[in-house]
Amino acid sequence: MSEVIRSISRIRLIAGNTFLEAVRQKFFNSLLLISVALVGSSTFFQQFDFGTGELKFVTDFGFGALFFFGSILSIAATTQLFFSEIENRTALTILAKPIYKLEFLAGKFLGAHMLMLVFTTVIMLVLGGILYWRESVLMARMGEAFVDGRLIRYSDLLVFGLLQWMKFGILSAIALFIASFSNTNLYTVVVSFFMLIICQLQYIARDAYSTMEQGIGQWLVRVLGLIFPNFQLFNVGDQLVFSQGAPLPAITVLQIVGYGLVYTVAFILLAQLNFKKREI
Amino acid sequence: MSMARGLNHPLLQRSRSVGVVLLTLLLLGLVTRPIEAPAWEIVKAGQPEMNLEAIEGSLGQGLVIGVLGGFRAVMADFLWIRTNTIWERRDRVKLDAMVRLVTTLDPRPDFFWINGARMIAYDVPNWRIREEGGYAEVSEYRQLAIDLEQAQQAFVMLARAREFHPENAKLYLETGQIYLNRLKDNVNAAQWFLSASQQPDAPYYAARIYGELLRREGKDVEAYAYLKELFQQLPDDPYAQKPIILDRIKELEDHLEIPVWQRFVPVHGPLPEPIMEGTKHPLERVHEHHSCDGHAH
Repeated sequence: MSEVIRSISRIRLIAGNTFLEAVRQKFFNSLLLISVALVGSSTFFQQFDFGTGELKFVTDFGFGALFFFGSILSIAATTQLFFSEIENRTALTILAKPIYKLEFLAGKFLGAHMLMLVFTTVIMLVLGGILYWRESVLMARMGEAFVDGRLIRYSDLLVFGLLQWMKFGILSAIALFIASFSNTNLYTVVVSFFMLIICQLQYIARDAYSTMEQGIGQWLVRVLGLIFPNFQLFNVGDQLVFSQGAPLPAITVLQIVGYGLVYTVAFILLAQLNFKKREI
Repeated sequence: MSMARGLNHPLLQRSRSVGVVLLTLLLLGLVTRPIEAPAWEIVKAGQPEMNLEAIEGSLGQGLVIGVLGGFRAVMADFLWIRTNTIWERRDRVKLDAMVRLVTTLDPRPDFFWINGARMIAYDVPNWRIREEGGYAEVSEYRQLAIDLEQAQQAFVMLARAREFHPENAKLYLETGQIYLNRLKDNVNAAQWFLSASQQPDAPYYAARIYGELLRREGKDVEAYAYLKELFQQLPDDPYAQKPIILDRIKELEDHLEIPVWQRFVPVHGPLPEPIMEGTKHPLERVHEHHSCDGHAH
């Protein structure tokens, strides 16, 4: 029992240091600033809109910025934080102490994941603030359209943020898994982005081939659909946030969270499988 | 000895690792399926459908960012601006792919559907006829075939639009307009104007045009009965243009030689003043604006 507590303490220490190292990086700060500026300027970009409602446009813009910059940060930060330890040889010093490689990986993952929590929270707060402001202006201007109250479910905005954070967790774990056998930073980043695209788009292939006749093609797509996690599952912003539609059932949210947790843990364990054989 | 060395070959070891990883992920996919499948069913039902057919013609047009997650509405807007550039270049293959991509990315604004359908039904036939030698060279039979082919594509697009906006009168009107203006098919056009007039946000003119089309098709008795009923149902709103309907009723009565004692007498009080020349119902103004926004219409 005490060994478990000591292990958790070691993971916490590595995670804390990784997090501190990450928030001091210029890359994180500049990306956070760009994202906040982009979300903040969404009302300006609305002049390019061709008919979506203002609140819908701002929401889409915010979700888009969260996904786009969050994915970049999640992959780049995890990769950078992992390889900086390898390249600076600090990993040797850490692993020479009674620290298991799994603890090292878990610490690195949690540090990067905490960074993503900060990023997601900031973006969601900025987005929530802008939506609240715009909705209040619209309510004052067109009160009759808001007889049933506000259109945005602000608490569900946070639920959406949580789900995106879960997705970034899988993405960080995938980046860590690729980094565990890769020799270069660049290779890890590129392969991780390809994984992101496959995971995000695999549902299109699954849908397209579900109607085809039994054959090798169908089996291949089915197998690929099982191998890569379905990131589209986390794309529930519209269903969660807008009050016109039926809210997403709590059980579905829990299922998505569970799905995210299982894949995150699985990719960290797979990373450990490679990393334990790796010579540093 | 050599067997053991063979098994420890780096390539074999690497293949074994890859195999273990793939097998683990495969098993994981099977294990998580009971969690994923019900959640995916609910999530998918609430998302605009995205399929290979819609995106395959537009790969490399910023599609990846658009379909990856958020930004779909934003990407659709920017891709629409690009669609207009393609429209100016008269690249009809690309245009078709772009319109499909934009409406797939963001099916919510009716603007994309209506203007996309107009480009396909009105502009592309002109380009195709010019490509084949111009209106003087191409036979009328061939021109009609091209018109029909393009109109059919626009109808498919508008039918898809109605799946997303089943009560949007503009989409019914657009189909009617294509039948009326491009295919000169009054019979089908009339049916679509009637459907448009039955939608909750229907403009007053939809029903009026239906009545007029009945008259043009020689169905004077039917048109007379319909216009009388329409007159009774319309509110005393200047934009309803009731005096115009009354004029048409009177014309039909003269044409049908209805006896004086059987002629239509409005039950309501004084008729609303006809709206002044130049002022139109907002919906009519929008309609006219759409009709003249740069597309052959």
